[in-house]
Amino acid sequence: MRHSGAPSPSSRSDRPRRPRRWILPRLTLRFRVSLLFGLGALMVTVALSLITHELTRDNLLSRREEISLARVFFNAIQVSRLSGEETTEERLRELVQDLYTPLGARPVIRFGEQWISANPVEFSEPQIRQSLKDSVAAGVAAQMRYAVNETPFMVIGLPYPQINAAYYEAVPLTDIDDTLSALRITLLTSSAITVLLAIGIGIWAAQRTVRPLADIGEAAEAIAAGDLSTRLEGIDPDLERLSRSFNQMASALEERIERDARFASNVSHELRSPLMALTASMEVLNHRKSELPERSQTALNLIASDLEHFKQLVTDLLEISRYDVGVAALELEEFNIAEFLQQALRAGGYDVKVAISKDVSEVMLRADRRRLAQVIANLLENAEQYGGGAVEVRVERAGPMLEIHVIDEGPGVAKADQKVIFDRFFRGKDHSGVAGTGLGLALVTEHVKLHGGSVRVQGRPGGGRGACFVVSLPTPVES
Amino acid sequence: MPTRILTVEDDERIRTSLKMALEDEGWDVEEAQNGEAALLKFRGNPADVVLIDIGLPGIDGFELCRTLRRISSVPIVMITAREDTHDVVAGLEAGADDYLTKPFAPKELSARIRAMLRRVRTVDPALRSLILGQLDIVPEENVVYIRGERIAVSKTEMRLLTELASESGATLSREELLERVWGLDYFGDSRLVDVHIRRLRTKIERDPANPQLILTVRRQGYKLQT
Repeated sequence: MRHSGAPSPSSRSDRPRRPRRWILPRLTLRFRVSLLFGLGALMVTVALSLITHELTRDNLLSRREEISLARVFFNAIQVSRLSGEETTEERLRELVQDLYTPLGARPVIRFGEQWISANPVEFSEPQIRQSLKDSVAAGVAAQMRYAVNETPFMVIGLPYPQINAAYYEAVPLTDIDDTLSALRITLLTSSAITVLLAIGIGIWAAQRTVRPLADIGEAAEAIAAGDLSTRLEGIDPDLERLSRSFNQMASALEERIERDARFASNVSHELRSPLMALTASMEVLNHRKSELPERSQTALNLIASDLEHFKQLVTDLLEISRYDVGVAALELEEFNIAEFLQQALRAGGYDVKVAISKDVSEVMLRADRRRLAQVIANLLENAEQYGGGAVEVRVERAGPMLEIHVIDEGPGVAKADQKVIFDRFFRGKDHSGVAGTGLGLALVTEHVKLHGGSVRVQGRPGGGRGACFVVSLPTPVES
Repeated sequence: MPTRILTVEDDERIRTSLKMALEDEGWDVEEAQNGEAALLKFRGNPADVVLIDIGLPGIDGFELCRTLRRISSVPIVMITAREDTHDVVAGLEAGADDYLTKPFAPKELSARIRAMLRRVRTVDPALRSLILGQLDIVPEENVVYIRGERIAVSKTEMRLLTELASESGATLSREELLERVWGLDYFGDSRLVDVHIRRLRTKIERDPANPQLILTVRRQGYKLQT
C-alpha cells in the first residue's frame, strides 16, 4: 500500500531536529572511537588472560599430582611393610628419613596412635586437616590443597587399615605458584600493551575517518568566505553521497548568485538607459523653460524634481542591491583621513568645522575611497535634511578603531528610533517635505559593515540638542 | 570652428536627447549608432572628442576605443550603464581618458570635455619642448622622445606627464593629479590616475613592471624621476 502524499519539504524542515541528550559531557568522535577500540581490546585480552591462566594452572597442578601420586604410592608401599610388634618409634623414624622425597615433599607416618614426621617443624600431624584425617581414617585415600605458613601444599593421605597405619605426604606447590605469578605478570603486561596499542590504532583510525570531514569543513569555509568555485574532489567513496550533495549545493549556490548578479546587472542597464534619455531631454527642456507658458513651467519643475529623486532612488537601489546579491567588493586604498575629509566636504560644497585629534591626523586609512565618500556625503545630507545641517565633523581614535562623528544641532534621534533609523526606507514620523530616498543611512550601514566597521547614532556630545552619527572603522596595523 | 563631438550610442533615444543637450552647450555633435559607422566617420573627418557607449552591438566599446587609440590621440569618454569596476578599468585600459556612468547630466559631461580640451600647461609656453634628463617632452605634438625614440601619447597622458614634470621630482598625490588633470570638482575615483600611469609606463619605461622614470611613492602618490 502506498501512502498518499509525502510530507511536504517545508513541513519537514519546520520540524526542529531534536538534539541528542548527553548525560556525560559530549565527547569528540575521535575520542569515542579510540575509547571503543581500547575497551574492546581490554575485554578480549582480559578474557584471553583469564583462560590462559586457568588452563595453565590446571595443567601444572594435574601434572604435579600425577607425578606425586606415583611416588606417594611407592613410599606408601614401604610403610605398608611395617608390622605390629617390632615397629618401634626408632624404626619409624628411620623409615621416614629413608623415604624418597624429591621436590621437598614432607612425609608423615601414622602408626597406631603414633605420628612420625620427617621434619616436624615444617610439617607434622597438627597441620593435617581434620577432614583429610577423617577421610583417611574411614579407609579412603584423599588429597587436599591448602597453605601452611603461607606455603601452598598438596597433601595426600593413604590409609592402611590392616595394620592401623596411614601415610601422608605434603608436596609443596611453591614453584607452581611462582610460575603462575610470573605468568600473571606477563599476561597483565601484554594486556596493558595491547590495550594501549588498540587505543593508538583507534586514534589513528579515527583520524583517518575524520580527515575527509576536515576537507569538507575546509571547503565549506572557503565557500562561506566567498570562493564559490570550491568543490570537493577525491573524497573517500564511503562519503560519496555527502560530497556529491555538497558539490550540488555549491553549484546551485554559485549559479544562483551568478544569476542574481546578472539580473542586477541587467536591471541596472535597463533602468539607467531610459533615465539617461530622460535626464538629457530634461536638460534640453530646462534650457528653453522661459519659452514655455507658466503652467507648463510648473509641470516641468515637478517632473524635474521627481526625475532627480527617481534618479537618486535608482542609483541607491542599484548600489544596495549589490550587497543583497553579494557582489559588493571593496577596492582598498591607503589614504590620509584628514585630507580625505577636507576633499569630501569641499566636493559636497559644505562649510563645516572639521576637528581632527592630533593622534589621528597622520593616520592612513585602508578603505574604499568611493564608498567612504558616499558614507560621508550621505551623513552630511542626512544632517542637512533632518538636523538643520552638520555643524561639526570630528575624527578621533577609540581603541583600535577610528571614529568619524558627524554632529548636527537638530531635534536629535529618539531613543526608540536609534536602531531602526538605519533600516531601509525608514524616515521618521514627520518627513513631509523632506527629500531623499530613505536608503541613505542603510547604504551607510552596508558600506561601513563591508569595511569591518559599525555605525551608530547618539546624543550630541556635551548634551545639547542634536544628533551625532558615529562611523567606526578599523585602522590598519601600523607597519 | 566649434568643437566637434562624435557620439557613438546604439540607443536612439539617448543619442537624440544627448545630441540636443550637447548642442545647447555649444558643441557640434555628430552621431554614429555603431562602432563600424563611427570608424568610417572618424576616418573621413576626425572629431575633437569621442563619446563611446560600452554596450555597442558589433564592435563593442572597448574594441572601438582600442582601434581609435591606435590611429589617434583624440580624447575619449567612455559611457557605461554599469558601475562594475571591471567595466570601468577595462575601458580605461582600452585607452579612454575618462568615463561617466549613466544617467549623468549633459552639463557634467560638458565640463569634463572642457577639462580634457584645456590647453596643456607648460612651465613656459614659449618653450616648444621640455627636456628632463633622458626625456624630451613635446606637448604640442603629444610626443615624447626617450633615448632618441619617438613615442606618441594621448592628450591626457601628456597632461599627466607635464604635471609630474612641472613639479621637477616632487611627489604628487593621486588627488592632486585628479584635480589638475581631470578637473577640480572631481572627487573619489583614483583608478583614473592609476590606469593612466600604468599606460604611460608601458609606453616610456624600459621595464614597466620595474619603473625607473615614473615612481610610486607608497601612501603618497607618484613622482617623475629625472
